[in-house]
Amino acid sequence: MNTYDKQNMLKRALAEVVGDQYVTTDKMTVFAYSQDASLFGGTDAAVVVRPGSTEEVSKIMKCAYHHAVPVVVRGGGSSIYGQPKGIPGSNVLLDMTRMNKILDINKQGMTVCAQAGIMMGKLQQACNQAGFYIFVPAAPFHTVSLGGWLSGAAGGGGIWWETISVTVVLPDGTIVKTGGGPGTNTRLKHHYSRVIGGPDFTGMFIGDGGSFGVKTEVAIRLLGLPHITRACILEFLELEHVLELIRRHGERVNPHPFDPLLVFGPGATEIFSPGSEGVEKFTIMAIMQGHTEREMDAKKDIFNDIAESLGGTHTAELDAITDLMAGGGEAEEKMEMFGLSFFNGLGLAAWLPFNIPRVSFLEIYPKLVAWREERLAEATKKGFECRARFEFFTPSDQCAVSGEVDAFFKDTDSPELREFIKDMILDYQKYTHELGLLDVYNQGVMSRLNAACWSPGFKSLHTTVKKALDPKGILNPGLWVET
Amino acid sequence: MADKKKALKAVSQSVYSCRKCGQCGNKVTDAVPYVCPVKETTPGFDHFYSRGKIVIAQGLLEGAIEPSKELAEVVYTCTLCGNCMTQCGAIDRDTGGPLVDTVGVVEALRTDFLEEHPEWVANEYKALLTATRQYDNPWGVPRSTKEKWAKKLSLPNALRNPSETLLFVGCTVASNPALNARAVKAAEILKKAGVAFAILGKDEPCCGSVQKRIGAVRQARDMVNNNIRLLHTTGCKTIVTLCAGCANALKNDYRLGAEKLKPNVLHIVELFAQLLKEDKLNPTKKKGSKVTYHDPCHLGRHMGIYDAPRDVLNALPGIELIERSATRENTICCGAGGGMRLFESGTLAEKIGQSALESASQTGAEVLVSSCPFCEMNLQTSSKTAAGSITVYDIIDLVYEAIV
Repeated sequence: MNTYDKQNMLKRALAEVVGDQYVTTDKMTVFAYSQDASLFGGTDAAVVVRPGSTEEVSKIMKCAYHHAVPVVVRGGGSSIYGQPKGIPGSNVLLDMTRMNKILDINKQGMTVCAQAGIMMGKLQQACNQAGFYIFVPAAPFHTVSLGGWLSGAAGGGGIWWETISVTVVLPDGTIVKTGGGPGTNTRLKHHYSRVIGGPDFTGMFIGDGGSFGVKTEVAIRLLGLPHITRACILEFLELEHVLELIRRHGERVNPHPFDPLLVFGPGATEIFSPGSEGVEKFTIMAIMQGHTEREMDAKKDIFNDIAESLGGTHTAELDAITDLMAGGGEAEEKMEMFGLSFFNGLGLAAWLPFNIPRVSFLEIYPKLVAWREERLAEATKKGFECRARFEFFTPSDQCAVSGEVDAFFKDTDSPELREFIKDMILDYQKYTHELGLLDVYNQGVMSRLNAACWSPGFKSLHTTVKKALDPKGILNPGLWVET
Repeated sequence: MADKKKALKAVSQSVYSCRKCGQCGNKVTDAVPYVCPVKETTPGFDHFYSRGKIVIAQGLLEGAIEPSKELAEVVYTCTLCGNCMTQCGAIDRDTGGPLVDTVGVVEALRTDFLEEHPEWVANEYKALLTATRQYDNPWGVPRSTKEKWAKKLSLPNALRNPSETLLFVGCTVASNPALNARAVKAAEILKKAGVAFAILGKDEPCCGSVQKRIGAVRQARDMVNNNIRLLHTTGCKTIVTLCAGCANALKNDYRLGAEKLKPNVLHIVELFAQLLKEDKLNPTKKKGSKVTYHDPCHLGRHMGIYDAPRDVLNALPGIELIERSATRENTICCGAGGGMRLFESGTLAEKIGQSALESASQTGAEVLVSSCPFCEMNLQTSSKTAAGSITVYDIIDLVYEAIV
């Protein structure tokens, strides 16, 4: 059977599953999926299919498995390291975004179950309307799908622990439901825990880059929607003092989910406050979200006391922002102030994220900034104009600090600049590996880089699991290692 | 050989400034149920909304794909409503304008198709352009048809009896008997308010909006230049349009004309709001109705006119204005924009219109009011098959009932 016949055979078979209108081999349609939000690109697919249910995904996978056709999975298409390439020209691309429904909000049990193609923004909106809240820290949640978030960012970007069940279609089409809830192998009536009655298989599918199975439904624990917001914003001149504040904050409260602490470096401050160029300072924004004014005011006072004792200073401009945040309803909307629209307007991004153990932060962070500056000097020599720098970090829990030291460039239509930035991103990650770091992103080219750091034992375990679940190697092939 | 993809190359900055994040197709908030009406009412593949179209545009610029009949269809599946740009929200820090002008990119793609591969453009669009050349209106009706609505009103012709105010009725209202009453009512309201005005009747040209939207940029440019000369000969100081498309064209597109259009341009809702403020219109007749307002894309997102129609509606006795969740700059297009009524015989436009009607019904409103004949026509058509029962009116109807 030649490629054309094979494509048509597949198209017919998939059309029987999802209906004619949701499967295509049309070149224009397929081409539209060849890019995503990264500079590393999307996938060169042969067929694009938009399933609407777990059962449809199962039938699609059975068909692909039977014919040994590679399958790549796409959520919001908003990765920063590109998508799994699969086998270019042969892939069936599952566009999961049609699976965007809320299946259940259990108000009493405080859980939500949704299809995995739903955007985090839509999920959050539905939960908010029901009086609940999912903590999605300072993230572009209008472009990231729930399944993509869980697959592409190890730790699920703040929702890893709240995730209590994942319905997964394995490469051979088998439907598995991990964790708690109806239909699980542990036969629980409700979603409430993922760690009883067996190993944490839910965790196995988090951060897998989508290579162990196709996530189709996810159950997440909910929090009551916080109606009261307070903020403290202070400036610090010394990084040491910032770190001490982070330590003391983490010692006192869990920064996740209601007491996030966001730190902006000098470059970010320049963007927010034009005219502050050249001043080496850090701006700390602590957000307190909760249910009573009394509780939030008390938290604010305590935080201010600690911050001031460490040399933090207030300014009239920052105080005005804190007042605005306190008067403006739910915090989630405020968190969007550094959402994608803002970053997109800055220019072409060299995203340079990191995840550093808190105890090593003071040693490592300045090295990352210095590395960026060296690379920016090189960029200037090549005639590329850096328009903005953006340093940001936040304690993701008591032990780790996540953040980025990004740079944004003008000349967005320059192919040379695009290549320069791609190299910069990859070289930066290699440098972080030299420093003993590994970042949370398990997407596209980043997965390969991360896998290069695996120990032989870890690699062997991965190979064993992958082979057991996907003996024909059809799902996101080549994502982690050559198959 | 002519420069290939000339129009697209001219907007390449927009193409490359797009980060392809997909917010333009995926954003959902309390005020934004969805962004792209085309994506929502089709199988929803990426090319149906802004990001996919921008990816395709980049592919064309870089030679990764070539124009085709299928691609021509893709570029005409867009209402040009601009909601993707609103929800993207990214600003070009150098110009202060939108970072990605998707409407401009889609119009450029259409322009290149019409210039370089007209054989792949659906006949309906080409017929519209031929009709415009032949009759000076896109509806293909004789010029004399456009003055029929005014026969019994004895209104002065602006070329012979100049007036400071020119009532620019627009081809859609003037050419369609079903909409003629709108022009009559508008004229009577203005008379009642003591506004001296003239019309152009059969001499009223097509504004060129539809032609530009479907990609006939050269034809539209010629129309703009001829129209500016004609409008200047009337000596009017203000042009008042009944159509949101005409208003947007005269106000925004005409900036690209060889000479600057001198008269001030107002949509009729702006004039109504002004007349109400000056107590020149006194709506007294009470009509008890719960109404919700549909912001036409041309008037709202493209011109920023949101308050005037609401001021007018709030001034009408007995009218209770209820807002939809997606309102003002978040309004979902009625489906008629960007020449969509011509695409696949209007079936997609109709589906989009049904969604607009259903969201309006959900507010509990009895009446859906708009201020654009294209919206009205499409919503009327869609109402025949939409769930829920809501009556579609133009704002002129309500003002007329309250005043005359």
